[in-house]
Amino acid sequence: MAYWETIFYLVSMVIYALAGGGFIYSFVFKNPRVVSKVTLLVLFGFIAQTAAILARFNATGHLPWSGHYEYALMGGWFIIAGTLFVGWQNKQLQGLAVGTVPLVLIMLGYGYMQNPALTPMAASLKTIWLYIHVYFAWLSFGGYSLAMAAGVVFLLKQKSEAQEVPNPSYERFPSLGRLDELIFRYVVFGFITDTIMISAGAIWAKDLWGSYWAWDPVETWSLISWLIYGITIHLRVTFGWREKRLAWLAIAALSTVIICFFGVNLVVNTSLHMFQVR
Amino acid sequence: MFTKLYKFLSSLRFTIWLICLLGVIFAAGLWVPQKRLLKTIYLDWQQKSPDLVAFLDSFGLTTIYTSPITVTLWLLFFLNLSLVLWQRIPVIKSRIVLSESKIVDPESAGGYPFHSYYPLPDGLNEDKIFAALRKHGFTILGNGNMFYGVKNRLSPIAFALFHVSFFLILFGGIIGVYTEFRGYVELAQGETFQGELERYKDDPGPKLPEIGSLPDVSFTIKSIVPRVVRNTPTGISIMLVDSRGKSHEVGINVPYNTNHTSVMFKHLGVAPLFILKDSSGKEIGGAYMKLDVLKGGPDHFTLGGLLFATRFYPDYALVDGKPVTRSMEFNNQVFVISVERDGKKIAEGTVPKNGTMTFEGYRLEMQEMPFWVRFYVNKQRGLSIVYTGFALATIGVIWRLLFFRREIIGSIREKEGQLCLVVAGRSEYYKSLAEDEFVKLFSGIVRKTDER
Ligand code: HEM
Repeated sequence: MAYWETIFYLVSMVIYALAGGGFIYSFVFKNPRVVSKVTLLVLFGFIAQTAAILARFNATGHLPWSGHYEYALMGGWFIIAGTLFVGWQNKQLQGLAVGTVPLVLIMLGYGYMQNPALTPMAASLKTIWLYIHVYFAWLSFGGYSLAMAAGVVFLLKQKSEAQEVPNPSYERFPSLGRLDELIFRYVVFGFITDTIMISAGAIWAKDLWGSYWAWDPVETWSLISWLIYGITIHLRVTFGWREKRLAWLAIAALSTVIICFFGVNLVVNTSLHMFQVR
Repeated sequence: MFTKLYKFLSSLRFTIWLICLLGVIFAAGLWVPQKRLLKTIYLDWQQKSPDLVAFLDSFGLTTIYTSPITVTLWLLFFLNLSLVLWQRIPVIKSRIVLSESKIVDPESAGGYPFHSYYPLPDGLNEDKIFAALRKHGFTILGNGNMFYGVKNRLSPIAFALFHVSFFLILFGGIIGVYTEFRGYVELAQGETFQGELERYKDDPGPKLPEIGSLPDVSFTIKSIVPRVVRNTPTGISIMLVDSRGKSHEVGINVPYNTNHTSVMFKHLGVAPLFILKDSSGKEIGGAYMKLDVLKGGPDHFTLGGLLFATRFYPDYALVDGKPVTRSMEFNNQVFVISVERDGKKIAEGTVPKNGTMTFEGYRLEMQEMPFWVRFYVNKQRGLSIVYTGFALATIGVIWRLLFFRREIIGSIREKEGQLCLVVAGRSEYYKSLAEDEFVKLFSGIVRKTDER
């Protein structure tokens, strides 16, 4: 890792940890006012993370996109960017960070323990399809993560509303009906970008490995994950699954994406993707 | 009985089952070592647990992606998809049709979750409202008395587009499987290749197409230039000249494509020209030796009845008396060679690039050291159909899920003593969020005109 990269990386982790704590405080102590302040904190963390990416870019000459560490760095950036973006568009959605910030914090912690060494860009990565493939993968990861966060918030809020005295922290959030639809909207965003990611990946694979589909573990797993979200959309559109069921579905389905990014190597070690692509 | 079966086969419940089962099959393929993908792991495992493997083999679970179970599931998937799509055609037609019958009273119409009315400011009339709605993408039927508006009317067609793309991918994929040729060929700088079948490597041997011809390729390798930066291969440039004299550059990610065939760079090696001479200086033998040593492993060649075991150090140095390479960059290229006769080592030494080594009256000379490459040659038809499928899927899913339909009905009428725009609206997929959108739309139209 480059010097400034390490510093900004750690700073962003500390800030996200504080922000995560702030959100938990706001919910446990029923104090909704801190949410916007904590969101500001997330913004600072995001700036630090952006600085870490720039420092790395400066050291290697290319944007981070291979290896678990770079996935954590860049994937986490997209998730936080999405969170801040929706919170900026609609203040009621700032609390989605309660789901995404801890997720990113875990990712960053995990990434730090992996392989942060600086590497020049491997030749296999120099193609337009890779840009499309990787960035759409992250966009879809971001979309699915937001869906998960909306699911978490939905379940928390529903539980709170069932109580005699609902927790005022949840009043800041959109109504249950809107949250339910937001889960679907984020799933849809994730699904569209996922479709583009897989198509671009296949085209890239044809040029790099010689066949557009080789049942490589990462390919297979991303197909599974895409199918799971396809099922989710079907269940919603054609079977009318909503609210609690949809929320749980959005939370559970994210596990398939996390396995796809970080876990396939734990299961099998034969992937062409190798994640430290050479 | 038959109608029941037909109903099930064409049901969306069955669709969910099928997608789930396919998912389970794919996941199983990750855990059960697959014969074709993980040959060595598979053979190891077969030796350790022959009964289990035989059992799984008999169900095709070790060739799971082409096993009868999987193929059956795919058949059912496409059967189900065809039936559902067929049944949906009239539904789609009725959804997209523009008809006067859709103009209904916004206050009493069912199926429209959003209802509201807006007092009209002076000067805002039917024409202006319609113009504003059209600007927002609505097609309007009717008049101020009662009207119907629809945005993204054709979006339901995209549903079919998306699902039909699966057929294209299937169709292209099947063509690909039956016409596919795969093979590896190793060529050094200067060599010419004309697609001769016998020049493909034996291990793994070429896979011949079930239908169609062998790859029609013909080229000569003009140059091979690898690039390494700080231990990472950052590129390679291989210049080919085809039989018509046209040059093509091949690199990582940049195959040479011709006649449905891709020639892809896979592996790099060095092919030093070694000449062995006796004590009188007479040449005993010499040849370009294609050695696979760039990853640090050993390789060997024979000349004049002697066996030369080699290791290659691209950036050679001696550390504590041991040869090491300081990096993967080609800064100080040296071969460490041990010579054997009849299984016995008779000498050891180093040969730098274009250098020599003498031993027991022999002289081993390296005269030049070009590179060789292993190409993966793949011929497959149907690719453009598959890619069209990808494109359709992408267009379909964006069109359907982002540009979904909104319908409004409205009327300009007196309400509570004021002229009002009375409206109702509905959207696909969303209710509450659509409500926000409609509020924004109508209050925007009313306000904007107000300000004017
Ligand atoms: C046998 C296979 C399939 C059948 C019969 C089928 C059928 C359907 C039907 C009837 C709809 C609802 C259309 C509407 O009401 O407008 C739908 C929607 C959808 N399906 Fe499928 N589907 C199949 C496979 C898949 C797969 C594999 C995916 C992707 C993973 C997928 C993704 C979608 C999406 C994204 C939608 C929402 C778009 C819309 O509302 O039209 N489908 N499907």
